[in-house]
Amino acid sequence: MRPTFSDITIVIALELIGAILLRFFLLADDWRIVGGILLLFCAGFAVMQFRSDWESRIGDAFNRGTRLAVGLAILLVLLFPLALNGNTYALHLLIVSQLYAVLAIALNFQLGSANIPNFATGASYGIGAYVSALLAIHFNVNFWLALPAAAVAATAFGFLLGVPSMRTRESYLALVTIAFGVVIHQLLNNFDWTGGPNGLVGIPAPSLFGHSFASPIVIGGIKLPSQANFYYLSAVLVGIAIISAQRLHGSRIGLAWNALRADELAARCQGINVIWYKVLAFAVDAFLAAFAGTIYAFYISFISPDNFTFLVSVTIMTMVIVGGMDNIFGVIVGAFLLTMLPEKLRAFSDYRILFFGIVVILFLMIRPEGLFPQRLRRYGGSE
Amino acid sequence: MSGHAVLRGEGLTIRFGGLVAMDGVDFVLQAGEILGVIGPNGAGKSTLFNLITGLYQPTAGKVFLNDRPLNGLPAHRIVQMGISRTFQSSRLFTDLSVLDNVIIGMHCRTQSGVFDAMLRPSKARGELRQAAAKAGELLRSVSAGLYDQRGRAASELAQADRRRLEIARALAAEPKVLLLDEPSSGMDDRDTDALIADVRAIIARRPELSIMIIEHDMRLVAELPHRVMVIEYGRKIAEGSFADIRNMPRVQEAYLGRKATAHA
Amino acid sequence: MAAELMQQGLNWLTLGCIYALIAVGFSLLFGVLKVIHFSHGDVSLVAPFVALAALQGWSASASGMSAIGLLVACAIAVVATGILGVVLDWLVIRRFRDAPAMMALVATVALGIALRESVGHIFPNGHNPQPFPRLIDANFNVTEGFNLPAFNVLVIGSSIAVVVLLFLLLQHTPLGVRIRAVSQDREAARLMAISPSSVFRATFFITSAIGGLGGLFYASYAGVTRFDFGIQAGLIGFSAAVVGGLGSMPGAIIGSLLIAGLDTIVQATLPDGASYRLVFAFLLVILVLVFRPAGLFGSVAVEKV
Ligand SMILES: Nc1ncnc2c1ncn2[C@@H]1O[C@H](COP(=O)(O)OP(=O)(O)O)[C@@H](O)[C@H]1O
Ligand SMILES: [Mg+2]
Repeated sequence: MRPTFSDITIVIALELIGAILLRFFLLADDWRIVGGILLLFCAGFAVMQFRSDWESRIGDAFNRGTRLAVGLAILLVLLFPLALNGNTYALHLLIVSQLYAVLAIALNFQLGSANIPNFATGASYGIGAYVSALLAIHFNVNFWLALPAAAVAATAFGFLLGVPSMRTRESYLALVTIAFGVVIHQLLNNFDWTGGPNGLVGIPAPSLFGHSFASPIVIGGIKLPSQANFYYLSAVLVGIAIISAQRLHGSRIGLAWNALRADELAARCQGINVIWYKVLAFAVDAFLAAFAGTIYAFYISFISPDNFTFLVSVTIMTMVIVGGMDNIFGVIVGAFLLTMLPEKLRAFSDYRILFFGIVVILFLMIRPEGLFPQRLRRYGGSE
Repeated sequence: MSGHAVLRGEGLTIRFGGLVAMDGVDFVLQAGEILGVIGPNGAGKSTLFNLITGLYQPTAGKVFLNDRPLNGLPAHRIVQMGISRTFQSSRLFTDLSVLDNVIIGMHCRTQSGVFDAMLRPSKARGELRQAAAKAGELLRSVSAGLYDQRGRAASELAQADRRRLEIARALAAEPKVLLLDEPSSGMDDRDTDALIADVRAIIARRPELSIMIIEHDMRLVAELPHRVMVIEYGRKIAEGSFADIRNMPRVQEAYLGRKATAHA
Repeated sequence: MAAELMQQGLNWLTLGCIYALIAVGFSLLFGVLKVIHFSHGDVSLVAPFVALAALQGWSASASGMSAIGLLVACAIAVVATGILGVVLDWLVIRRFRDAPAMMALVATVALGIALRESVGHIFPNGHNPQPFPRLIDANFNVTEGFNLPAFNVLVIGSSIAVVVLLFLLLQHTPLGVRIRAVSQDREAARLMAISPSSVFRATFFITSAIGGLGGLFYASYAGVTRFDFGIQAGLIGFSAAVVGGLGSMPGAIIGSLLIAGLDTIVQATLPDGASYRLVFAFLLVILVLVFRPAGLFGSVAVEKV
């Protein structure tokens, strides 16, 4: 179906408003501006809560105008750094948010699609980071080769992590994943060849066609700080994560995950090999997390075990629950919100972890479906 | 009825701790036949289905589908080989749409794996779209009312429609044998009549399909099955046409009691 | 050599008892709730902070620290921890009784984090380690080269006493009967006019108080307490309960002794052993779960269809 004129207006207006708000949020120094933008955000939600017809109108507009929405979004992502007045801290926040968005999308395969508890996403993230960093430091492997190598290593770990899920469920499985996460963290902390608690330093910056990611981008007289390299790199990764998530969600695999989420036993009786699909969810999670880990390592050029603790896993879980389980857009919003909020509300940064804990409990009690609830699938516009 | 045994059980026995829930039950299901399974609550009827579908592993005894032994196969393989079922208390995927429930029922008749989904999305999507079209047709053939509600979440369905959807989902796997566990539970008389008509319509389109049906509603038992077997305390105590078994004193004692005599 | 072995044996038993006090709670709570209460370790480790606060209050009024002061502080801590368990159930956990297990699970993990952080923020300077006194400082000199500290005797003796009392309570009192009834079949218990929520309250109080005692011993054994001890203690206690088989009391105790044994051996034989203790405990858990998914003493229940 072709988008109508009002569809086009809605899509353009919402994306522009979103981008502008994000810009002001990122550049705001004053907590009152931050609070004001948050209030606007909440007000938007309150309106949606009461006017569900508006919500479905917006949904329809984006459904019909998908191409326009995607094209405009790509354009905005490309141009966004230009609007930041060269503020490197804002760029840094964006990079970290995007990496967390990837991690949250990764975890969403399990937590959101298949309802499997996994407290080890932080560990897969760490394995990705460490494998690629070690390859780069000791074997001079360049970033573009380290990336797939790390992904393979982490996926193997994901399969390993998935093995106990063949025979255990729920609380037991949660314990196993926590255990794996803690074991990885302690091993990283104790081994000599991982640098122990000091971690690894001096991870070289990647380069592409002779352009080092440590140097600024200069195009036609416009100069962007060196962070912009990693901003675009992580944006590409978010794009890949979204595409993978959508392809899996819109396939027989996504359906099988959803089936075992709703009723594992009934899923078995529909011919679904639940063991395979569970292990698969672990592997996919680890695969994507490793990409994020690699980019993180090469971006910061220094990693230590404390970047990959149990709390990191819980943070990622918070993002999925707050954003909305099994809603890719929601999960991304959750990641951005929960990465930037604690940074923007510096005065409260000591309370960050407490805040995460309470937010999770409150969401599970009051709005377990998250900010953006999952949506039913539609096939070929037949409805 | 074409008269060869599709499904066969030999000496099926299962213990839960001290309880012998099924004790040496033999049965045969012919191609195209409808076999009724009746018996008091807790007799072991659902346990029989669970043994056939691989949810429970028998302590002793064997199940054969077309003379191939099923023992030890996981539940999902048994579905693939052609045995589908419904549950006594319906177990739909409530947070998915009606159509998705049926498409999931086709899981073992579709192919795409992870690599198709990630790298050849048009193939994976195409397959799913085809499945959706087929699922729509199937829903329409089971019940027009259900078809109209195909975009809604399964949790929003009325009780009778849930049971219909569960049957449609089971049929989506293109089974040779269909096991229905108390399909009329929670239905009033009108819904039950509709159910009888639905099942008739289903077999009219699929002459080779064999059905085992656990039921308490004696009207349905009198109308649908060609043959009925009676289970009590995990044992088969009688087998034959409804007209024959309902006059057996042992069966009346065990199960039928007042309710059936009133209906008869 | 013999003295060394005896010393290690004593360490093993002491650690095993401390873990068991926490593990028993995990097991009993799982029995009635049917979902793991992941924050039980954090609840238990609130006790040392309560005791410290009470001690500070005491030494402000009376002069100096006395044995009685310590005893009273510990008693207050145990009761307060019991009450904390009931309050947390009322505030949070009861809202997830009928929710999918996954949600209760994640909620209690988050609850543990919130609790830990609250302790860190509320207790003055709470994010730093706080020295925690030995509950008794005497020594029995048994033979040459082997000292039997009164503290270890206290831990082992009171753990055995608590476990025996708990066993008697479960087997021979009306409350125990109700607790067992609810853990076997909640609906049937309700039909027999047993109110599950009162049973939940009682169970939370008992298990949290016992866990609190374990928490006091844990801190006293280590000589310090930290706001984030809860996660370690909780994971060890939970692992012990899982290794033994959730829901089984003897299982929880044997699981605790196994994990404590592994812990002792690793610390005694490996250089740097202390930093690997969780690694080995968890490897044991993973192995047990892969080969015996319901733990050593649990039996796999087949879901009724
Ligand atoms: N998974 C199980 N664990 C323990 N007992 C079971 C299990 N499944 C069935 N039973 C017992 O087996 C007996 C038969 O149950 P069932 O087959 O459900 O009876 P019905 O004939 O009403 O369908 C009952 O006593 C039931 O409690
Ligand atoms: Mg039954």
